Amino acid sequence: MYLIKKSQVSDIAKELQKEYQVYGPVVDKETKQTMFVKADDIAEIDLAAPIPAVPPKHTVFPHYERIMAYNYDPQSKKVDINPDFDDKPKALFGLRSCDLTGVICLDRFYLGQEFVDEVYKNHRKKMFIVTNTCNVPFKQCFCVCTDSGPSAREGYDLNLTDLGDQYLVEAGSDKGKALAEKLGLAKADDSYKKKKEEIVDESILKFDSIAKDNKAWVSRVVNRVTTGLIEEKTWEYIGNQCIECGACSFVCPSCSCFNIVDSCTSATAADRIRTWDSCSYEGYTRMAGGHNPRKPVEDRRSKRFFCKLSYSQSKKYLRPGCVGCGRCQWVCPGDIGLPNVVTYIRREIQK
Amino acid sequence: MNYKSGICTFCGTGCGHLLDVRGDKVHGVFPLQNHPVSKGRLCVRGWNVHELLSTPERITTPLIRKNGKLTEASYDEAIAYLVENLSKYKKGAADEIGFLASPRSSNEENYLLMKLARAVFNTNNINLDSEPGHRTTLDVMHNATGMAGMLGSLEEIRKAEVILVAGIDITKQNPIIGSEIHMAARAGAKVVTIDTRNTQIAKLSSTFLQIRPGAYRIAMAYMAKVLIDEKIYDAEFVKRNAEGYDAFAASLSSLSDADVAEKTGVTTDELKAVARDLAGAKTAMVFFSSGISGFPKETVSYILNLFLLAGKIGREGCGVNPITGINNLQGSYDMGIAPDLLPGFQAVSDKAALDRFGKEWGVSLNATPGKTVYDLLATNKLKALVVVDHDETIIRNAIEISKLDFVAFMGAYKHDCMNYAHVVLPIAEYIATDGTYTNTERRVQLSKKKVEPEKGILPGWKLYATIAAKAGAKWNYAAPADVMAEIAKLTPNYAGITYDKLQALGGVKWGGARLDADKLPKKLSFAAVAGNFAVPQASEEYPILLLVGEAQHYWHQNNLMKKTNLPLREYNATLLLYPQGYVAISPQNAKELNVRDRFPVKIVSPYGSMEAMVQVTDKVKPNTAYVAYFVDEMVTKFFMEHKDVLKRGEDATIPVRIAKV
Repeated sequence: MYLIKKSQVSDIAKELQKEYQVYGPVVDKETKQTMFVKADDIAEIDLAAPIPAVPPKHTVFPHYERIMAYNYDPQSKKVDINPDFDDKPKALFGLRSCDLTGVICLDRFYLGQEFVDEVYKNHRKKMFIVTNTCNVPFKQCFCVCTDSGPSAREGYDLNLTDLGDQYLVEAGSDKGKALAEKLGLAKADDSYKKKKEEIVDESILKFDSIAKDNKAWVSRVVNRVTTGLIEEKTWEYIGNQCIECGACSFVCPSCSCFNIVDSCTSATAADRIRTWDSCSYEGYTRMAGGHNPRKPVEDRRSKRFFCKLSYSQSKKYLRPGCVGCGRCQWVCPGDIGLPNVVTYIRREIQK
Repeated sequence: MNYKSGICTFCGTGCGHLLDVRGDKVHGVFPLQNHPVSKGRLCVRGWNVHELLSTPERITTPLIRKNGKLTEASYDEAIAYLVENLSKYKKGAADEIGFLASPRSSNEENYLLMKLARAVFNTNNINLDSEPGHRTTLDVMHNATGMAGMLGSLEEIRKAEVILVAGIDITKQNPIIGSEIHMAARAGAKVVTIDTRNTQIAKLSSTFLQIRPGAYRIAMAYMAKVLIDEKIYDAEFVKRNAEGYDAFAASLSSLSDADVAEKTGVTTDELKAVARDLAGAKTAMVFFSSGISGFPKETVSYILNLFLLAGKIGREGCGVNPITGINNLQGSYDMGIAPDLLPGFQAVSDKAALDRFGKEWGVSLNATPGKTVYDLLATNKLKALVVVDHDETIIRNAIEISKLDFVAFMGAYKHDCMNYAHVVLPIAEYIATDGTYTNTERRVQLSKKKVEPEKGILPGWKLYATIAAKAGAKWNYAAPADVMAEIAKLTPNYAGITYDKLQALGGVKWGGARLDADKLPKKLSFAAVAGNFAVPQASEEYPILLLVGEAQHYWHQNNLMKKTNLPLREYNATLLLYPQGYVAISPQNAKELNVRDRFPVKIVSPYGSMEAMVQVTDKVKPNTAYVAYFVDEMVTKFFMEHKDVLKRGEDATIPVRIAKV
């Protein structure tokens, strides 16, 4: 554990910038919206900014990415295939613990199973992660219900905790430790461990009064979702409100589904594009022969919440798929963000 | 920051978004949280706009047809070719030249195209596709209230106690407005849907009245009658603010309860309950479609009169709200894209207005209103046609268009219309230039330039100015802001609008937040109605009434969505299931026909027939059938025979017989 003065915390980012593209929470001057983006100037990064509207998912899994270009030469009958994607090293600075948990879920999908996704691996392998403990929750937060905050426990290189006039800096990896040593940060003694615990406990207590938008005790519904004992009419109630926009998947830090298209750039050449996809779309589950096992919208919705809330899916992520950031509730044109769905299911259980 | 704020380009809602722009490429999109209308939401189309903006299916060079083939040319050559050919018909321009403008072009571009037609090529023949749709609605609004646009405000939806949704599949057509209505319902508003189909918003409503096709007018008229009979209309409001009450009240006398129940297919008690809710609430709004699937004039008139009676016009949380399906449909009418209109809904026949334009432009203008391109095509007099970035409805007239002497197409994306064009001029994508767009609630919003145009392609405003210059006119615009300055000077409802003012998120709404009953320049008037309550009748020979409507991913046979990936997949999902297109019928009809989902059938009308597959769904009532426009491969030929029917919008029905094949 180390300490760094608040006024000097950006030195970490500046040091990182020598080797990495540095991403962090930036408040757009014009629209006042916080976005997690590449900072051209480290001064743009605001550690006190509200939780970014866009999760850092796009740094490892871009919204729309060319992953390959190929060209067919009709004369020689040869195909020239070029893998093509951005593999510059990235540093994520000032990540909230929910969003780090999202990246960890993505890791377990893209790297942790039978097949390793080369494109994802390239984005991820050279990454440096600096997380930021939430001393105060935001009003849509419910990470305390999903075991993903308010402070990160694993997966970071450095974790920052605001102590007032200075930050406590915890190293979570050798890489993190090396950077802290390189910067010559002052060592913090064990008493700071307790101090941090107090801050985290206080933050958790503040959820009751501040994080009023959402309450989602996911553990209460895991059993029902896993066993499929939820009544059809509850799913219909949820499905009726789904406008099939795909937003919940797009803003979810842990949603990993993608679509692949080959977009022809000429008669003999094409780009292979990978884009975010969503289980709310009807075409998502349609099979080549035309059969669609999840044609009605309520079936597609139940699939999403099975992915986020079931035990079977948690076994793959080694945790629930929901990370408690509350973004799906923001962007939903219906009223079926995950916290509300948990409420609807609990209402049914209580009956 | 690589996310740049902008306005979604698809429907008339005008949602705010952030585009992930890096260099000259768009890598993604994200909703804008502080936007007054969309508040951080987007629909399936908006969430995939970057796919459209990344499509290789763009027009990248001017083209001239040589020996039957479109061949690459320079702008100089192509513009000279265009001007030379159009100039041939300048003398007879009133009959021989037509301009088909796009409701997707910015205000500045449409204004200049309108100026090009009128001031340079001497013709008032300029129009959009929606003369029978949005135009009709605007006429009713304008005559009754002086405001040619939506009377209410989208920002006030959550302040309405009662929301009437009439004949619009709003969660598909304008999903974010649908969302606002749903949110109002969640907060306690009473949402009443009157529709022929069981739509999503119908399922989310507290009351759903599934009426028979073509019966909207009589249903609205009956509710007005209930307000009068039960003396629960806002008599004070009507007396103070409105004219024409007596004539309107008299027109309702012929309505009988039995007739209404039979024609609408719902009970008069149900309609009475809605009327009483409308009268009893402090605030109420009505939403209906004003695009190509909009209502005919009479139906809009009854809706307006009903809300006038109830005193639900001109106050906060109230309003008669026609909803545009395309992003700048409202703005296009504001810019005078109509044979008889100048910008600001000023009539071409209004000499004082015409003189103002003539003086500013330094030309003398023709005071005789023009004709629409479609009317001209029917007369066989049209010689030259200019089409701008259009949806595909134009292809309905492919035969007539292929006979024309000269066809020019201008646009950003490849289009079937190019097959008939003698010259093609590319226009830069909307993100490659500044431009303003006016959404369905009269909100003028600035979309700023985010990328450089590809390979020197001209933005529309510059292209039109270059064409004008080639034709000998002197226009001086250094930037789109200069065009807006001229618009503001000549268009009363855009007076005072500048790019500086438009920098604010959400832009500026002309006419104020809503029509204000306390600041009316003149009294409101009840819309004139004919009092004809006939509804379309099926016969023994043609027992089923066929309706035409919208679908989510391909509304308006949209050329744009076909250039995307994910929405295209959704479209293809439908087409793969129903390769010949589909006609939706009720389970009862399916049983009678002895068909199941995806069985082929033949649809026979008094004028023609087509083959399609059936989609069996409880969304439609027995003896009603429904086809979505977007399956153009299927409907184009069939509807050639039904052009008049299509003009009647959502009330349009075609009596048909369906047979198993």
